[in-house]
Amino acid sequence: MRPFAEWLSGTYPSVAIQTTFWFIRLLQATHLVTAGIACVSGIMLALRALEWHRADQPFPAVWQRYAPWLGLSLGVMVVTGVAQTLGDPVREFTATSYWVKLALVLISIAGTLALARTLRASPPVGLRPSAKLFAAALIVFWLAIVMLGRMIGYDLAIWGDLSLRT
Amino acid sequence: MSVESVLESIQTSALGVWMRDTLPAMQVVEATHVLAAVVVLGTVLIVDLRLLGLADSSRGLTRISRETLPLTWIAFAIAVVTGSLMFTTSAEVYFANPAFRLKAIALLAAGLNMVLFQLVTARGIADTGAPPRSARIAGLLSVLLWTAVVLLGRWIGFTKGYDFTIPPDVDLTIAGALM
Repeated sequence: MRPFAEWLSGTYPSVAIQTTFWFIRLLQATHLVTAGIACVSGIMLALRALEWHRADQPFPAVWQRYAPWLGLSLGVMVVTGVAQTLGDPVREFTATSYWVKLALVLISIAGTLALARTLRASPPVGLRPSAKLFAAALIVFWLAIVMLGRMIGYDLAIWGDLSLRT
Repeated sequence: MSVESVLESIQTSALGVWMRDTLPAMQVVEATHVLAAVVVLGTVLIVDLRLLGLADSSRGLTRISRETLPLTWIAFAIAVVTGSLMFTTSAEVYFANPAFRLKAIALLAAGLNMVLFQLVTARGIADTGAPPRSARIAGLLSVLLWTAVVLLGRWIGFTKGYDFTIPPDVDLTIAGALM
Protein backbone atom coordinates (compact mmCIF):
# COMPACT_ATOMS: atom_id res chain seq x y z
CA MET A 1 0.00 0.00 0.00
CA ARG A 2 2.85 2.40 0.83
CA PRO A 3 4.41 2.27 -2.70
CA PHE A 4 1.00 3.06 -4.20
CA ALA A 5 0.49 5.91 -1.70
CA GLU A 6 3.94 7.31 -2.50
CA TRP A 7 3.23 7.13 -6.24
CA LEU A 8 -0.16 8.84 -5.69
CA SER A 9 1.41 11.64 -3.66
CA GLY A 10 3.57 12.53 -6.67
CA THR A 11 0.66 12.84 -9.11
CA TYR A 12 -0.57 16.24 -10.29
CA PRO A 13 -3.88 16.38 -8.29
CA SER A 14 -2.10 15.35 -5.10
CA VAL A 15 0.70 17.90 -5.53
CA ALA A 16 -1.88 20.59 -6.36
CA ILE A 17 -3.74 19.92 -3.09
CA GLN A 18 -0.50 19.69 -1.07
CA THR A 19 0.74 23.01 -2.35
CA THR A 20 -2.55 24.89 -1.92
CA PHE A 21 -2.20 25.17 1.82
CA TRP A 22 -5.54 26.86 2.65
CA PHE A 23 -7.36 24.15 0.69
CA ILE A 24 -6.30 21.46 3.18
CA ARG A 25 -7.65 23.58 6.04
CA LEU A 26 -10.92 24.15 4.22
CA LEU A 27 -11.27 20.43 3.44
CA GLN A 28 -10.60 19.36 7.04
CA ALA A 29 -12.95 21.97 8.51
CA THR A 30 -15.78 21.11 6.08
CA HIS A 31 -15.22 17.39 6.66
CA LEU A 32 -15.45 17.90 10.43
CA VAL A 33 -18.71 19.90 10.38
CA THR A 34 -20.41 17.47 7.99
CA ALA A 35 -19.14 14.54 10.05
CA GLY A 36 -21.01 16.04 13.01
CA ILE A 37 -24.22 16.35 11.01
CA ALA A 38 -23.92 12.80 9.64
CA CYS A 39 -23.07 11.40 13.09
CA VAL A 40 -26.04 13.06 14.82
CA SER A 41 -28.46 12.20 11.99
CA GLY A 42 -27.36 8.55 12.09
CA ILE A 43 -27.64 8.45 15.88
CA MET A 44 -31.14 9.97 15.84
CA LEU A 45 -32.32 7.34 13.35
CA ALA A 46 -30.81 4.56 15.45
CA LEU A 47 -32.40 6.03 18.60
CA ARG A 48 -35.77 6.09 16.81
CA ALA A 49 -35.27 2.45 15.84
CA LEU A 50 -34.79 1.75 19.55
CA GLU A 51 -37.89 3.89 20.28
CA TRP A 52 -35.83 6.23 22.50
CA HIS A 53 -36.35 9.24 20.24
CA ARG A 54 -39.62 10.49 18.68
CA ALA A 55 -41.33 7.21 19.45
CA ASP A 56 -44.68 8.99 18.97
CA GLN A 57 -43.85 9.60 15.29
CA PRO A 58 -43.99 6.80 12.69
CA PHE A 59 -40.51 5.77 11.53
CA PRO A 60 -41.07 6.95 7.92
CA ALA A 61 -41.67 10.51 9.20
CA VAL A 62 -38.49 10.44 11.29
CA TRP A 63 -36.62 8.95 8.32
CA GLN A 64 -37.88 11.79 6.14
CA ARG A 65 -36.61 14.29 8.73
CA TYR A 66 -33.06 12.96 9.13
CA ALA A 67 -32.21 10.84 6.04
CA PRO A 68 -31.74 13.81 3.64
CA TRP A 69 -29.29 15.42 6.10
CA LEU A 70 -27.51 12.12 6.56
CA GLY A 71 -27.24 11.57 2.79
CA LEU A 72 -26.14 15.12 2.03
CA SER A 73 -23.52 15.28 4.78
CA LEU A 74 -22.17 11.85 3.83
CA GLY A 75 -21.90 13.04 0.23
CA VAL A 76 -19.84 16.09 1.30
CA MET A 77 -17.79 13.86 3.60
CA VAL A 78 -16.94 11.54 0.70
CA VAL A 79 -15.86 14.43 -1.54
CA THR A 80 -13.77 16.16 1.15
CA GLY A 81 -12.46 12.81 2.41
CA VAL A 82 -11.30 11.72 -1.06
CA ALA A 83 -9.63 15.11 -1.59
CA GLN A 84 -7.87 14.86 1.78
CA THR A 85 -6.71 11.34 0.96
CA LEU A 86 -5.42 12.55 -2.37
CA GLY A 87 -3.67 15.43 -0.63
CA ASP A 88 -1.76 13.21 1.77
CA PRO A 89 -2.11 9.56 0.69
CA VAL A 90 0.83 8.23 2.71
CA ARG A 91 -0.56 9.68 5.96
CA GLU A 92 -4.04 8.27 5.26
CA PHE A 93 -3.24 4.87 3.78
CA THR A 94 -0.71 4.01 6.49
CA ALA A 95 -3.14 4.82 9.33
CA THR A 96 -5.07 1.97 10.94
CA SER A 97 -7.66 4.51 12.08
CA TYR A 98 -8.31 5.44 8.42
CA TRP A 99 -9.19 1.88 7.40
CA VAL A 100 -11.25 1.18 10.53
CA LYS A 101 -13.12 4.45 9.95
CA LEU A 102 -13.84 3.55 6.30
CA ALA A 103 -15.09 0.09 7.34
CA LEU A 104 -17.35 1.61 10.00
CA VAL A 105 -18.73 4.18 7.54
CA LEU A 106 -19.71 1.38 5.14
CA ILE A 107 -21.17 -0.79 7.93
CA SER A 108 -23.10 2.16 9.39
CA ILE A 109 -24.58 3.20 6.04
CA ALA A 110 -25.57 -0.37 5.18
CA GLY A 111 -26.89 -0.96 8.70
CA THR A 112 -28.95 2.24 8.73
CA LEU A 113 -30.45 1.39 5.34
CA ALA A 114 -31.25 -2.14 6.51
CA LEU A 115 -32.95 -0.85 9.67
CA ALA A 116 -34.91 1.69 7.64
CA ARG A 117 -36.03 -0.98 5.20
CA THR A 118 -37.43 -3.05 8.04
CA LEU A 119 -39.04 -0.15 9.88
CA ARG A 120 -40.56 1.48 6.81
CA ALA A 121 -42.44 -1.72 5.91
CA SER A 122 -46.20 -1.56 5.75
CA PRO A 123 -47.87 -2.71 7.95
CA PRO A 124 -45.29 -1.61 10.58
CA VAL A 125 -43.21 -4.36 12.15
CA GLY A 126 -41.22 -4.28 15.37
CA LEU A 127 -37.52 -4.94 15.57
CA ARG A 128 -36.20 -8.26 16.84
CA PRO A 129 -33.88 -8.08 19.87
CA SER A 130 -30.86 -8.77 17.64
CA ALA A 131 -31.82 -5.85 15.38
CA LYS A 132 -32.20 -3.60 18.43
CA LEU A 133 -28.75 -4.64 19.57
CA PHE A 134 -27.44 -3.75 16.11
CA ALA A 135 -29.18 -0.33 16.30
CA ALA A 136 -27.39 0.29 19.61
CA ALA A 137 -24.10 -0.76 17.99
CA LEU A 138 -24.78 1.71 15.16
CA ILE A 139 -24.81 4.56 17.72
CA VAL A 140 -21.35 3.51 18.88
CA PHE A 141 -20.18 3.19 15.25
CA TRP A 142 -21.33 6.72 14.31
CA LEU A 143 -19.51 8.13 17.35
CA ALA A 144 -16.41 6.07 16.58
CA ILE A 145 -16.32 7.35 12.98
CA VAL A 146 -15.81 10.94 14.18
CA MET A 147 -13.21 9.96 16.78
CA LEU A 148 -11.26 7.78 14.36
CA GLY A 149 -11.16 10.63 11.87
CA ARG A 150 -9.31 12.75 14.43
CA MET A 151 -7.11 9.82 15.44
CA ILE A 152 -5.66 9.39 11.94
CA GLY A 153 -3.06 12.01 12.80
CA TYR A 154 -2.02 10.10 15.93
CA ASP A 155 -2.01 6.56 14.59
CA LEU A 156 1.17 5.35 16.28
CA ALA A 157 0.23 6.82 19.68
CA ILE A 158 -3.26 5.31 19.51
CA TRP A 159 -2.66 1.90 17.96
CA GLY A 160 0.95 1.16 18.93
CA ASP A 161 2.09 -2.04 17.24
CA LEU A 162 -1.26 -2.33 15.47
CA SER A 163 -0.59 0.87 13.55
CA LEU A 164 0.15 0.34 9.87
CA ARG A 165 2.86 3.00 10.25
CA THR A 166 5.08 0.61 12.24
CA MET B 1 -1.77 36.65 41.42
CA SER B 2 -1.14 37.41 37.75
CA VAL B 3 -2.72 35.63 34.79
CA GLU B 4 0.73 34.38 33.79
CA SER B 5 1.32 32.73 37.16
CA VAL B 6 -2.13 31.08 37.09
CA LEU B 7 -1.44 29.74 33.61
CA GLU B 8 1.97 28.50 34.65
CA SER B 9 0.62 26.74 37.72
CA ILE B 10 -2.06 25.07 35.56
CA GLN B 11 0.41 23.66 33.07
CA THR B 12 2.93 22.61 35.71
CA SER B 13 0.20 20.90 37.78
CA ALA B 14 0.32 17.12 38.16
CA LEU B 15 -2.66 16.84 35.81
CA GLY B 16 -1.00 18.99 33.17
CA VAL B 17 2.22 16.99 33.36
CA TRP B 18 0.32 13.71 33.21
CA MET B 19 -1.68 14.85 30.19
CA ARG B 20 1.50 15.94 28.38
CA ASP B 21 3.62 12.93 29.21
CA THR B 22 1.18 10.03 29.07
CA LEU B 23 0.58 8.43 25.73
CA PRO B 24 -2.10 8.42 24.37
CA ALA B 25 -3.91 10.64 26.94
CA MET B 26 -3.83 13.89 24.96
CA GLN B 27 -4.70 12.14 21.70
CA VAL B 28 -7.73 10.31 23.15
CA VAL B 29 -8.90 13.38 25.06
CA GLU B 30 -8.60 15.54 21.94
CA ALA B 31 -10.51 13.07 19.76
CA THR B 32 -13.22 12.89 22.45
CA HIS B 33 -13.33 16.70 22.57
CA VAL B 34 -13.80 16.88 18.80
CA LEU B 35 -16.54 14.27 18.96
CA ALA B 36 -18.36 16.07 21.79
CA ALA B 37 -18.10 19.41 19.99
CA VAL B 38 -19.60 18.13 16.75
CA VAL B 39 -22.39 16.34 18.64
CA VAL B 40 -23.20 19.67 20.34
CA LEU B 41 -23.31 21.32 16.92
CA GLY B 42 -25.40 18.55 15.34
CA THR B 43 -27.99 18.43 18.12
CA VAL B 44 -28.22 22.23 18.41
CA LEU B 45 -28.85 22.32 14.64
CA ILE B 46 -31.96 20.19 15.09
CA VAL B 47 -33.49 22.86 17.35
CA ASP B 48 -32.13 25.73 15.24
CA LEU B 49 -33.64 24.41 12.03
CA ARG B 50 -37.00 24.34 13.80
CA LEU B 51 -36.45 27.94 14.95
CA LEU B 52 -35.58 28.93 11.40
CA GLY B 53 -38.76 27.26 10.14
CA LEU B 54 -36.76 24.92 7.89
CA ALA B 55 -37.77 21.63 9.53
CA ASP B 56 -40.27 20.06 11.91
CA SER B 57 -42.75 22.96 11.61
CA SER B 58 -45.64 20.75 12.76
CA ARG B 59 -43.76 19.60 15.87
CA GLY B 60 -43.79 21.71 19.01
CA LEU B 61 -40.63 23.65 19.79
CA THR B 62 -40.80 22.67 23.46
CA ARG B 63 -41.05 19.03 22.53
CA ILE B 64 -38.09 19.21 20.12
CA SER B 65 -36.01 21.00 22.74
CA ARG B 66 -36.95 18.47 25.42
CA GLU B 67 -36.07 15.46 23.26
CA THR B 68 -32.82 16.91 21.86
CA LEU B 69 -31.19 19.26 24.36
CA PRO B 70 -30.37 16.60 27.01
CA LEU B 71 -27.99 15.08 24.43
CA THR B 72 -26.59 18.54 23.76
CA TRP B 73 -25.91 19.11 27.45
CA ILE B 74 -24.23 15.72 27.90
CA ALA B 75 -21.98 16.39 24.90
CA PHE B 76 -21.32 19.94 26.11
CA ALA B 77 -20.27 18.70 29.56
CA ILE B 78 -17.88 16.20 27.95
CA ALA B 79 -16.50 18.97 25.72
CA VAL B 80 -15.89 21.23 28.75
CA VAL B 81 -14.10 18.48 30.71
CA THR B 82 -11.95 17.35 27.76
CA GLY B 83 -11.29 20.95 26.69
CA SER B 84 -10.11 21.80 30.20
CA LEU B 85 -7.84 18.75 30.23
CA MET B 86 -6.34 19.82 26.91
CA PHE B 87 -5.85 23.34 28.26
CA THR B 88 -3.74 22.03 31.16
CA THR B 89 -1.12 20.68 28.73
CA SER B 90 -0.07 24.10 27.38
CA ALA B 91 -2.13 26.75 29.17
CA GLU B 92 0.20 29.61 28.21
CA VAL B 93 0.29 28.65 24.53
CA TYR B 94 -3.49 28.20 24.32
CA PHE B 95 -4.17 31.48 26.14
CA ALA B 96 -1.95 33.40 23.73
CA ASN B 97 -3.49 31.73 20.67
CA PRO B 98 -5.86 34.11 18.78
CA ALA B 99 -7.98 31.17 17.56
CA PHE B 100 -8.45 29.99 21.15
CA ARG B 101 -9.54 33.48 22.27
CA LEU B 102 -11.94 33.82 19.35
CA LYS B 103 -13.37 30.39 20.14
CA ALA B 104 -13.92 31.43 23.77
CA ILE B 105 -15.73 34.58 22.61
CA ALA B 106 -17.89 32.60 20.15
CA LEU B 107 -18.69 30.11 22.93
CA LEU B 108 -19.73 32.89 25.31
CA ALA B 109 -21.83 34.54 22.61
CA ALA B 110 -23.54 31.22 21.78
CA GLY B 111 -24.32 30.69 25.47
CA LEU B 112 -25.63 34.24 25.84
CA ASN B 113 -27.83 33.78 22.76
CA MET B 114 -29.21 30.58 24.30
CA VAL B 115 -29.95 32.24 27.66
CA LEU B 116 -31.56 35.28 26.03
CA PHE B 117 -33.69 33.03 23.87
CA GLN B 118 -34.87 30.96 26.84
CA LEU B 119 -35.55 33.94 29.12
CA VAL B 120 -36.92 36.47 26.65
CA THR B 121 -37.68 35.31 23.10
CA ALA B 122 -39.15 31.86 23.83
CA ARG B 123 -41.73 33.26 26.25
CA GLY B 124 -43.58 35.20 23.59
CA ILE B 125 -43.70 32.66 20.75
CA ALA B 126 -46.24 29.95 19.92
CA ASP B 127 -45.02 26.38 20.34
CA THR B 128 -46.13 25.26 16.87
CA GLY B 129 -46.49 26.87 13.45
CA ALA B 130 -44.27 29.36 11.67
CA PRO B 131 -41.65 30.90 13.97
CA PRO B 132 -41.58 34.70 14.42
CA ARG B 133 -38.67 36.83 13.24
CA SER B 134 -37.09 36.94 16.73
CA ALA B 135 -36.95 33.13 16.84
CA ARG B 136 -35.46 33.00 13.34
CA ILE B 137 -32.77 35.48 14.33
CA ALA B 138 -31.96 33.46 17.48
CA GLY B 139 -31.80 30.27 15.38
CA LEU B 140 -29.56 31.83 12.74
CA LEU B 141 -27.22 33.28 15.37
CA SER B 142 -27.05 29.91 17.07
CA VAL B 143 -26.14 28.08 13.83
CA LEU B 144 -23.44 30.63 13.00
CA LEU B 145 -21.96 30.79 16.51
CA TRP B 146 -21.82 27.04 17.14
CA THR B 147 -20.35 26.44 13.68
CA ALA B 148 -17.76 29.11 14.50
CA VAL B 149 -16.97 27.36 17.79
CA VAL B 150 -16.23 24.09 15.95
CA LEU B 151 -14.27 25.74 13.14
CA LEU B 152 -12.20 27.88 15.51
CA GLY B 153 -11.51 24.79 17.58
CA ARG B 154 -10.19 23.13 14.44
CA TRP B 155 -8.17 26.26 13.73
CA ILE B 156 -6.40 25.91 17.09
CA GLY B 157 -5.22 22.53 15.81
CA PHE B 158 -3.97 24.14 12.60
CA THR B 159 -2.08 26.85 14.46
CA LYS B 160 -0.43 24.25 16.69
CA GLY B 161 0.46 22.20 13.63
CA TYR B 162 -0.84 18.96 15.08
CA ASP B 163 -1.38 16.70 12.21
CA PHE B 164 0.33 17.59 9.00
CA THR B 165 3.68 18.93 8.01
CA ILE B 166 3.61 22.69 7.84
CA PRO B 167 5.80 24.29 5.21
CA PRO B 168 8.43 26.36 7.07
CA ASP B 169 7.55 29.56 5.19
CA VAL B 170 3.85 29.45 6.10
CA ASP B 171 2.59 31.97 8.66
CA LEU B 172 0.15 30.09 10.87
CA THR B 173 -1.31 33.06 12.71
CA ILE B 174 -4.79 34.28 11.82
CA ALA B 175 -3.26 37.54 10.61
CA GLY B 176 -1.02 35.51 8.33
CA ALA B 177 -3.95 33.50 6.99
CA LEU B 178 -5.93 36.64 6.22
CA MET B 179 -3.05 38.28 4.32
